[in-house]
Amino acid sequence: MSYLLDAGHWSWSDPTSIGRLLIDHLILTGLSMMIAMAIAVPLGLIAARYRRLYLPVITAAGIIYTLPSLAFMAALIPFTGLSSATVVIPLVLYAQVVLIRNIVAAIDAVDPGLVDIGRAMGMDGRQIQRYVILPLALPVIVAGLRVATVTTIGIATIAPLFGVRNLGYLIFQGFNTSYKEQVMAGVIAVSALAIIADVGLLLAQRAVQRGRQTSVVARG
Amino acid sequence: MTSITFEHVTKRFPGANAPAIADVSFDVPSGAICMLLGTSGSGKTTLLRMVNRLGDPTSGQVLIDGIPTVEQDAISLRRRVGYVIQQVGLLPHLTVAENVRIVPAIIGDRSPASHQRVDALLEQVGLPPDEYRARYPAQLSGGQAQRVGLARALAADPSLLLMDEPFGALDAITRHRMQDELLNIQRTMQKTLLFVTHDVDEAFKLGDHIAVLSEGRLEQVGSPVELLAAPATPFVSRLVGADNILRQFEYLPVTTALEPGIAPDALAERIPASETLLPAVLRMMRSGQSTLAVEADGEIRGVVTLAGISRSVRARGGDISESGHL
Repeated sequence: MSYLLDAGHWSWSDPTSIGRLLIDHLILTGLSMMIAMAIAVPLGLIAARYRRLYLPVITAAGIIYTLPSLAFMAALIPFTGLSSATVVIPLVLYAQVVLIRNIVAAIDAVDPGLVDIGRAMGMDGRQIQRYVILPLALPVIVAGLRVATVTTIGIATIAPLFGVRNLGYLIFQGFNTSYKEQVMAGVIAVSALAIIADVGLLLAQRAVQRGRQTSVVARG
Repeated sequence: MTSITFEHVTKRFPGANAPAIADVSFDVPSGAICMLLGTSGSGKTTLLRMVNRLGDPTSGQVLIDGIPTVEQDAISLRRRVGYVIQQVGLLPHLTVAENVRIVPAIIGDRSPASHQRVDALLEQVGLPPDEYRARYPAQLSGGQAQRVGLARALAADPSLLLMDEPFGALDAITRHRMQDELLNIQRTMQKTLLFVTHDVDEAFKLGDHIAVLSEGRLEQVGSPVELLAAPATPFVSRLVGADNILRQFEYLPVTTALEPGIAPDALAERIPASETLLPAVLRMMRSGQSTLAVEADGEIRGVVTLAGISRSVRARGGDISESGHL
């Protein structure tokens, strides 16, 4: 704990301080999740509408998910070198299987009777998406985002091996110098970040779930 | 004010052998409550959904105020027609007030007036706005939820209201109360109502017109009295219970048992020709007289007698033996 509590390890000017590494970790994870959602949402919407596409899409995403992260990132080095891209590309692809599965499940779970009454009230296609499908699907989509985000925070810890600094740096650096306190500091910081993200997204899920006492949570 | 005309309407669904609706033609006059009565699978919901273009006829046409529905934009047509279903279909993530306001919201009306109107509508359907405005659908009973459903259907002040077994999922007491309140509301709003039901009592209680459907065909359309007094087919006779004495007493006018002549004691007991058999029989029981004079516009038109009523009811298939069901 002494490493974590030492004010010198929180100095803003030091790029390897806990605060800076935490920010780096957040940015790397946040960026990966944003790109992942930008891909998964349209793919999920398309797969939900054209069911024939669902199986190939989810199978491909599932196969990618089985690739070991270390090997995947190493295999990208000839193309993207030691850069953020080497880390972000696998993170984005790993998240797809959970995100797409939840988006499709969320849309499937929307009561067709509510869509029908929306049409009967005179909603056009866009309004049905906006007033009916999206708000009803959102809690399940956020549940998927939550699972994927926590996983991504964990996998991102190996990024320092590919020249991208984040909280994993503390762990690797601590190993190399047999500095146990530093390893522990890294482990605790990453775990804390994962837990905070989990709770934060759980609260977000609750917020978009207002009015519904029982929650439907699909897990990836 | 809005009238509906069905002209040789036929609807076939792909893959089905028999048409869901076969050559149905009838008129619903403006301001009427028209009940679509039939067993499940009779096509009554299919027929209802063709009015606001949730389905279009395979052949024939539906006209609203003389204009074929297929010539009207489906979206703007639906916005002018209220729609209430048995499952209510409130959006669970929106409060009661938001659920009602969604109708003006989809036409882009976010004015303060639309907010005030929500309160007025909740008031109209018997939900005190202060108590219910902020509730979520999950916090409502079935009857309260359907009141919100009705308020939502009225939100755009449509002149035509489509109701698909709206009270079908409610308990008997709540159902009867809602029926009474609908009649009350209708008295002040004078909208045209097209109301699907499989409940004969509901059809008789609410309808000024009843269209009886069976297997997609229109068996008969008429007033409750017409259906009871002159069922067009054996199916209608069975469905409306033409042999049901209580219903006959309740709906048939005394004139159906009218006999010529003036009773000796006619001046003592008179009954207006507009009354039904039930008050006539009750009057006889109270007064101990078996003959009543029937009057209209201050003139005696004839008499009804207990024996005459009994003959008339028997002639319509009513079983008045003790084993006969009421």
